[in-house]
Amino acid sequence: MLKTILPTIMLIPLAWLSKNNMLWINSTMYSLAISITCLPLMNLSCDNSLNMSLLFFSDSLSTPLLLLTVWLLPLMIMASQHHLSKEPDSQKKLYITMMVLLQTFLIMTFSATELIMFYILFEATLVPTLIMITRWGGQTERLNAGIYFLFYTLAGSLPLLVALVYTQASVGSLNLLLIQYWNHPSIQVWGSSALWLAYMMAFMVKMPLYGLHLWLPKAHVEAPIAGSMVLAAILLKLGGYGMLRITVMLNPITNFMTYPFLMLSLWGMIMTSSICLRQTDLKSLIAYSSVSHMALVIMAIMIQSPWSFMGATALMIAHGLTSSMLFCLANSNYERTHSRTMILARGLQMILPLMAAWWLLASLMNLALPPSINLIGELFVTTAMFSWSNLSIILLGINIIITALYSLYMLITTQRGKYTYHIHNIKPSFTRENTLMMLHLTPLLLLMVKPQIILGTLY
Amino acid sequence: MNMASAMMLLSLTILLVPLINTTNYKSNLKPYPDYIKTMIFYAFMISLIPTIMFIQSGQEMMMLTWHWMTIQTMKLYLSFKLDFFSMMFMPIALFITWSIMEFSMWYMHSDPNINRFFKYLLMFLITMLILVTANNMFQLFIGWEGVGIMSFLLIGWWYGRTDANTAALQAILYNRIGDIGFILSMAWFMKNSNSWEIQQIFMLDFDNTTLPLAGLLLAATGKSAQFGLHPWLPSAMEGPTPVSALLHSSTMVVAGIFLLIRFYPMMENNKMILTMALCLGAITTLFTAICALTQNDIKKIVAFSTSSQLGLMMVTIGINQPHLAFLHICTHAFFKAMLFLCSGSIIHSLNDEQDIRKMGGLYKPMPFTTTALIVGSLALTGMPFLTGFYSKDLIIETINTSYTNAWALLLTLIATSLTAVYSIRIIFFALLGKPRFSSLILINENNPLLIKPITRLLIGSIFAGFIISNNITPSTVPQMTMPLYLKITALLVTLAGFTLALELCYLTQNLKYPNPSTMFKFSNLLGYFPFIMHRFNPLTTLHMSQKSATMIMDLIWLENVLPKLTAKVQQNLSTSLTNQKGLVKSYFLSFLITMITTLLLFNFLV
Repeated sequence: MLKTILPTIMLIPLAWLSKNNMLWINSTMYSLAISITCLPLMNLSCDNSLNMSLLFFSDSLSTPLLLLTVWLLPLMIMASQHHLSKEPDSQKKLYITMMVLLQTFLIMTFSATELIMFYILFEATLVPTLIMITRWGGQTERLNAGIYFLFYTLAGSLPLLVALVYTQASVGSLNLLLIQYWNHPSIQVWGSSALWLAYMMAFMVKMPLYGLHLWLPKAHVEAPIAGSMVLAAILLKLGGYGMLRITVMLNPITNFMTYPFLMLSLWGMIMTSSICLRQTDLKSLIAYSSVSHMALVIMAIMIQSPWSFMGATALMIAHGLTSSMLFCLANSNYERTHSRTMILARGLQMILPLMAAWWLLASLMNLALPPSINLIGELFVTTAMFSWSNLSIILLGINIIITALYSLYMLITTQRGKYTYHIHNIKPSFTRENTLMMLHLTPLLLLMVKPQIILGTLY
Repeated sequence: MNMASAMMLLSLTILLVPLINTTNYKSNLKPYPDYIKTMIFYAFMISLIPTIMFIQSGQEMMMLTWHWMTIQTMKLYLSFKLDFFSMMFMPIALFITWSIMEFSMWYMHSDPNINRFFKYLLMFLITMLILVTANNMFQLFIGWEGVGIMSFLLIGWWYGRTDANTAALQAILYNRIGDIGFILSMAWFMKNSNSWEIQQIFMLDFDNTTLPLAGLLLAATGKSAQFGLHPWLPSAMEGPTPVSALLHSSTMVVAGIFLLIRFYPMMENNKMILTMALCLGAITTLFTAICALTQNDIKKIVAFSTSSQLGLMMVTIGINQPHLAFLHICTHAFFKAMLFLCSGSIIHSLNDEQDIRKMGGLYKPMPFTTTALIVGSLALTGMPFLTGFYSKDLIIETINTSYTNAWALLLTLIATSLTAVYSIRIIFFALLGKPRFSSLILINENNPLLIKPITRLLIGSIFAGFIISNNITPSTVPQMTMPLYLKITALLVTLAGFTLALELCYLTQNLKYPNPSTMFKFSNLLGYFPFIMHRFNPLTTLHMSQKSATMIMDLIWLENVLPKLTAKVQQNLSTSLTNQKGLVKSYFLSFLITMITTLLLFNFLV
């Protein structure tokens, strides 16, 4: 694992020592090289995990997320170029440093063997993200968003620390590879339910579960583009990853503790996607659509069947790439019209036809067009939910309709119709932006050919 | 037989060539639209070989080509089913697309994005063929959603127009409602048969198949615009006319019926679903025929007649005659595509005028289109020995001699006679009488790109029914004998429709009642359906999402219960405790509480 972590850390001196005109190119190329060196991790010769050392391991659940993380860094760097073009060079370097730090923490989080290390790094990711939101965000609301982001996540995860300390004291180990052999807690004691809640709440907030999701739209909307991308693509998936890891050891209690959360997710999924129908703010729409998609992941993890676990993993990867791409597209609109309001940037297809093609593809991915991996994820989750309870198909079906509606509403409002006069002299789309979209879309399309590699441990 | 499968795959792959060649195509050879059209022609010719071999030998095939993935116990293949239905439908779809492509070269010649238009049509054709040849539900779903998205893109082709965008969104919305049914049955089959391969599903004997079949019926309702989910089809006429001809009459909209035909081995054992299909089809065919009666937009009339014919196909499914329904799909494709091409020719010649009240007397300036339109309309009404006769007459006879739901049968018969009424209305208003269009318009229909495709489809509309029904083996035993009055019912109701309509047309040609009757309003306003469904439903949903989801839940409750409440409590506590206000009592109280808590904790814990 060090061969990924150390080069990533070395990105910081690279950024600071680069000549100012080579800053972006150097860091992009170098991080892209890192992400390519990570690809062999996919080659898991057998079902076992790849134990790199006592501290780090990777298996078929964490590898796709790990690769998503390393893949996203060059994309983030590419996306931020225009946003930072007016800042002084030291600020640019600081910004890259923050992204790299976040990247390092994330890599270590996804590959940590010890739960307590996972916890520490999970918390550590908050710091660079917070700095990115509150320092480089667009408007003054960024401070409020930062506070929401920090306190929701912190307050949610403090019980997890207590639970981990308790487990360490009673079991003697927090090693993820050993923990499945843990003597399962009995169902009768109310304390074990509290333990379950303590374990799960941190991840539920991070996902986020409906009701605990208020930080997400705020943070996503106010964050700079790289922040939005990493939040939507990876930080939410930390929650899913943690839940997938932890549910293995909480098994008998999960069976009856899940009901309220399943209900809340089913309901929240529809509520959040119907909020999307009334959004005027492009980034907020994408943020709420993330909440609705993540509700599907929560349900899938709660169902605890092989199909649902596979669906959850596939959906996490698919959503990571799709929503990150949508944020990039929203940002490209923002950089031209200087507003996130959808109605101010309509009819763009007339002026930016290639960008309209990216919009179309991203929206189609978001509404899970077959055979995209988004569909594979959603279909697996739907099937698992259907076999759990036949009636759930009604709510899931409504959500499918609303998802299609808001995705196309977004597409039609921004791309179709007559263009407005104030966008007469906007800039054409840059090669950088088109490359960025293509780099998002290529993995999505390539994964269609072989979706097995993102189906997680149970495949 | 190996050659047949290879040829079939070849004709499928040929279609991919222009898509792959988009960027490196040399435009000095011939224009890109022409290139696509030629490729489709090749694909059509090649696909005829396996079809002829199939007709000769009757051997069905299934091809597993590529193992996609294995999920636990379920294998997903890229598999093609080359049976009667796909073998017969493929050449027909290719033939019609070929003709429509050629027509589009004339119709869309001034469009700056004509290359993209052709690419879209080609992509649509590919997804449609995926749908038809799919052997597992997942692959079928790929085609199913693919045609939906392509229809979205093609309806919204003139994306500057609000109406086009609305219609496109409407199409997707109604199709998505149907998709829920599809996903439901996929989930059900996954759960109960652990397979999505169609022949494996049929192998098993399920206890109760009502739920998945209801799902499939819902899917077919959405895609084939059956009653309840029908409004998207007439709205889809916002798209260019070639799109209406290809997608919304001959290929895409029959996908729902095709799905039910695919699943007939399962459906024929479930009487409840059959009855539901019968009633749904009967209501659709009558309702949309009534709506067609008073429309003035030529494309809308043809669209409603499509909807009515789809209802007739659904009725045929309902009386458990899937092969007949399939025959009607095949024959209907020819004359309906031609009717749209004719109306396209008229619309284009009259400078985009679609209102039949502003046409009239077109038989003189456009004799060829007139001929084609009249032959198409007669074929549609089931004139003996034209294409429509071979399927429609058979369907009506089978209905007449069957023992099922008499009410549904009656509705179907009425709808059949109404077919004649709206057909004669187009002919009467658009073609006969005196011209009512601007006299400055130059009408010229002597363009080979217009004449050739219509001629081909015209020949198809006359002979295709004869050829197809002569070359297929009867799968169900036809009714050999029946009383004379049952035999000629179809003809009689159609004739009655004709005579009545002709008289009515003469009556209403100039006269306009100051206050239209309720019946007229019902028909003209599409049964008040759009007013109820398209205003009330979105309004409630959007109100709910604005008021309850956004305002009450997100902005008020969730905000106030957790973050704001915490902040408020902390703020109040700290202000009341930190500022020195001389509140000695509360200071002592807080001191006391702390002491007691500490003591108690120590007492119990240590």
